[in-house]
Amino acid sequence: MTSPDVVLDIDGLVVRYADGPEVLQGISFTLGPQEIVGLIGASGAGKSTVLRAVQRLVEPTAGSVRLGGTELTTLGPVELRDARRRMGMIFQEHALVDRLTVMENVLCGALGRTGFWHALRRRFDPADVAHAFQLLDRMGLSGFENRRCDELSGGQRQRVGIARALIQNPELLLVDEPTASLDPAASVRIMTLISEVCSESGLAAVINLHDVPLARRFCPRILALHEGRIVFDGPPSELTDAVLTEIYGEEAVEPHVAVGAPAEDRRDD
Amino acid sequence: MTTEAARAWRPPPRIASAGVRRAAWVIAAAYALFAAWTIDVDGARIAEGAARAADFFGGWLRPDFVTRWTDIRAGLVESIAMTLVATAAGFVLSVPFGLGAARNLAPAPIYAGCRGALAVFRAFHEVLVAILFVAMFGFGGFAGVMTLVVATVGFLGKLLAEAVEEIDPAPLEALTAAGATWASRITFGVLPQVMPRILGLTLYRLDINFRESAIIGLVGAGGIGATLITAFARYEFESVSAILILIISMLFVAELLSSRLRRRLL
Repeated sequence: MTSPDVVLDIDGLVVRYADGPEVLQGISFTLGPQEIVGLIGASGAGKSTVLRAVQRLVEPTAGSVRLGGTELTTLGPVELRDARRRMGMIFQEHALVDRLTVMENVLCGALGRTGFWHALRRRFDPADVAHAFQLLDRMGLSGFENRRCDELSGGQRQRVGIARALIQNPELLLVDEPTASLDPAASVRIMTLISEVCSESGLAAVINLHDVPLARRFCPRILALHEGRIVFDGPPSELTDAVLTEIYGEEAVEPHVAVGAPAEDRRDD
Repeated sequence: MTTEAARAWRPPPRIASAGVRRAAWVIAAAYALFAAWTIDVDGARIAEGAARAADFFGGWLRPDFVTRWTDIRAGLVESIAMTLVATAAGFVLSVPFGLGAARNLAPAPIYAGCRGALAVFRAFHEVLVAILFVAMFGFGGFAGVMTLVVATVGFLGKLLAEAVEEIDPAPLEALTAAGATWASRITFGVLPQVMPRILGLTLYRLDINFRESAIIGLVGAGGIGATLITAFARYEFESVSAILILIISMLFVAELLSSRLRRRLL
């Protein structure tokens, strides 16, 4: 079922929101095992839509998305749930449930394989709980398990979000603007952590980044989106000023403007 | 500095047209005059009533807890029981209605059905519902409990639906992306976000239900209201006074407990 050399295969992916323009106009790329791809592009270029369409949080209008050989676009609700469990997603602004504890938030990632009544009474599989503790240790959050998430700093919350994605034992990480609400130092720490856990667990990842220098630093392969199309696919060394001008316009090539322009809102496409 | 005068600013008027604005004032004033005109004040009737009012307020100053104590106690206990049972049952029943009436969770037909049901529950005042249930189930506390359950579901269901519609959608989406089932998404993604608000509203509804239990008793639906209307009918204003004082005290106690509880829970 799982072909060994391709984790994610996207072919001709088109997304059109209800009576709007095409947000994605036919995107194709493949992702090999342990490959980490940085997806860059201006606000509104469709970066988040790519990830959301893979997870079918938005429905693809056309094209195919295959996860390790499973075609995702045609799955029924039950098979789709199973497929979603195989992809860990890390969100812009972390998307944690503020009023729940850190442990509950991490275990949210294990809800897909926990029965409803067990979940309601918080009786999780001991193996999942052990795994959660292990992940919290790895995230530098030992002893935080009973803290409520609204007591944590932005960087700590994002690390809880990473642990929630990893507890799924995913084959693939989909990471949407992990640094959108963080300061530059915390951004680097989070990106370091994400690339470390990817190599530790042998995970492939697609990482949306508005911050081009961060993408260059952490992603061996970069995809650039412009107006719903891929206009660049290659290593950071080939990402020239000319390409950046095409993506972002003239102003962006000045280095002091290109660095870390903040995302303007949470769903920037 | 000399050429540019200070630029004045006023908030834009709510009604843009000055003519319409003036007309609105004129119509409002005319209506107020007309309304005042139609009030029929009868001096003789007021004078006559004043004596009875004096009697009534005299009774107020001499509350009598003793003479009718057995009736009063039975009424109070029944009211408290009605209140607790109706609030608990109403809370449980309001959850499915509230989730179904939230636009961001429910598919259109369920949304419409639940919204409609909640509107019906709130359409009639408790007294009217109580009259209906008294006719259906006979005099007494059961009709009262049913009345309060309907009112509680209408109240909590609508407010729960509104709380659910205002939740942060991001955590819910994260749960969807993790492959969680619908039921798990509700219990982990929705309920934690709305629970504090719903618990606060339920405590408030407990308070309302106790007050309503006194009112619907007047039409035969049991509780302290039944005792109260009996005392009125017998012109026992001393007992009436005692009952009213007890109702007020109960509400004070409820207020105290609910604010304590709220601090604990949130």
